[in-house]
Amino acid sequence: MPQISPNAMVEKSAELADDVRVGPFAYIGPAVRIGPGCVIDTGASILGRTTLGAKCHVFPFTVIGADAGQTGNGECFIGQANSFREHVTICAGLKAPTRIGDDNLIMIGCQIGPAAVIGDHCILTNSTQIEGRSQIDDYVGTSAFTYVSAGVRVGSYTYIAGYTGVEDHAPPFAMVQGCPARVRGVNSNKLRRCGFGDDDIRALKEAFRDLFNGAADAADPQVLRRMEADASLNPHVRRVVEALRERVGEDSRK
Amino acid sequence: MTGLAVIREIAPSARVANDAVIGSFCVVGPHVTIGPGTVLIRRVVVLGHTTIGSANIVEEGCVLGAEPQDLKYGGSPTLLIIGHRNRFGPRVTAHIGTEDGGCLTRIGNDNLLSDGCHIAHDCYVEDKVHLGRNVLLAGHVLVETGAVVGDLAGAHHFTTIGRYARVGPRTPVRRDVPPFTHFYSQDHERIPPAVRGVHQEGIAAAGLAVAEEAELRKALKELFDDETALQTKIEQLVSMGVEGSALALCEFCQRSLQGVYGRYRELLRGQPPPEAAKFMPPQEQVNIRRPSS
Repeated sequence: MPQISPNAMVEKSAELADDVRVGPFAYIGPAVRIGPGCVIDTGASILGRTTLGAKCHVFPFTVIGADAGQTGNGECFIGQANSFREHVTICAGLKAPTRIGDDNLIMIGCQIGPAAVIGDHCILTNSTQIEGRSQIDDYVGTSAFTYVSAGVRVGSYTYIAGYTGVEDHAPPFAMVQGCPARVRGVNSNKLRRCGFGDDDIRALKEAFRDLFNGAADAADPQVLRRMEADASLNPHVRRVVEALRERVGEDSRK
Repeated sequence: MTGLAVIREIAPSARVANDAVIGSFCVVGPHVTIGPGTVLIRRVVVLGHTTIGSANIVEEGCVLGAEPQDLKYGGSPTLLIIGHRNRFGPRVTAHIGTEDGGCLTRIGNDNLLSDGCHIAHDCYVEDKVHLGRNVLLAGHVLVETGAVVGDLAGAHHFTTIGRYARVGPRTPVRRDVPPFTHFYSQDHERIPPAVRGVHQEGIAAAGLAVAEEAELRKALKELFDDETALQTKIEQLVSMGVEGSALALCEFCQRSLQGVYGRYRELLRGQPPPEAAKFMPPQEQVNIRRPSS
């Protein structure tokens, strides 16, 4: 039997796994499914058609699955072992679901918009604002007061510095900073911690130096073309080039 | 008081003073101590091994004593100790300490923490500090007596905000802020964060003697009018035999220079800071040890 505080409100049709704990004054909506080992703390609300994977911890006053129209039809798919700290808001998507992967740490006061897609192992620091339809890949780190604009993709292993407004796609493996955001270098500490070799990191550093040449707003198209043609390109650098190509392609369509 | 029943959950083992007021929808955990005259207005959650002193006011949506947002936290019963006469605005969060950082987060007396402030693990907030709305203090930060921090400012891990200093709104604090200075930035790039003047109100609030104030002003002018060759200027001032607050300012700047990226407390990484011993009962120091792996 789930351990539900007598002061909590759990709708009858909600599906809770056997060892779920629900704290006082929490609310679990009628179309919610909660996996084994989850802890829902005081005053948290889980709304809409939300599915929570195993071992998620929802801290006090967090709201998951809110939708602006209060229709209760928004969808939210959340993976395993995520930690949602105090006062987090995860909006549910009405046209497409909001998706959050596994093993993320979403800190106090973060807000994630409708239909956003978050990968695995991300750490979103306090007050990070992710707008709707944006995509955050795996192992992304953000710092305080980061803002990611709607429909923007942030590549994996990228770190976004504090107070940064990301308004265009950020490539993978990068350190991004400023308003508007610029690529400032390679997130080498994170890469080293995640087991990347020195050669790969060096290749990425050289590629970023060539592409962005200090603090340019966008990648140099000539260098991009040269790198694309290079058959012996480091596979990680190729990922960067592909991500940038995607962005350049979008720009040319405008 | 209205006639409505107060719905709240107070653990039987929590130690709550008789005249403390615990409002509706509050939750008080089993290891919590709440002193006399403290008011938890509504929807306040107090968890962990948290001690709240007397005559504090804690407003709606505060969460005090939750576990740290730090991946190295091993789950020990670390502490959050809050002094007297503090006011916590709505949605303030404060976390307990980590094993590596000295096991203690400490908030002193007479502080005003505005809406949405966050006091992370192992922070020390001394007395008469005013934090503006949504100020975020990262882990291991020391905010000294009388500091004023503007809205939406954020302090990096291991920074120190000096006595009676002022940090401007939306300013990222990435290095130590010297005492009695005004530290701010605008747009982060157009005017990058740096010492931009003297915090006049701070000097007035500190209530220094006339001679000491004059000496302090001279030292501040000498050091920060042009922030080059700080090391030499500090040495000059010290060799001239400055005293009191001016000497403390020189020592502060000297420590920051020795630290990593201008952050003195980086040198204390992985060990309890000197402040920890002052506030932690000795038996707790023995009890809280990371299980050896």
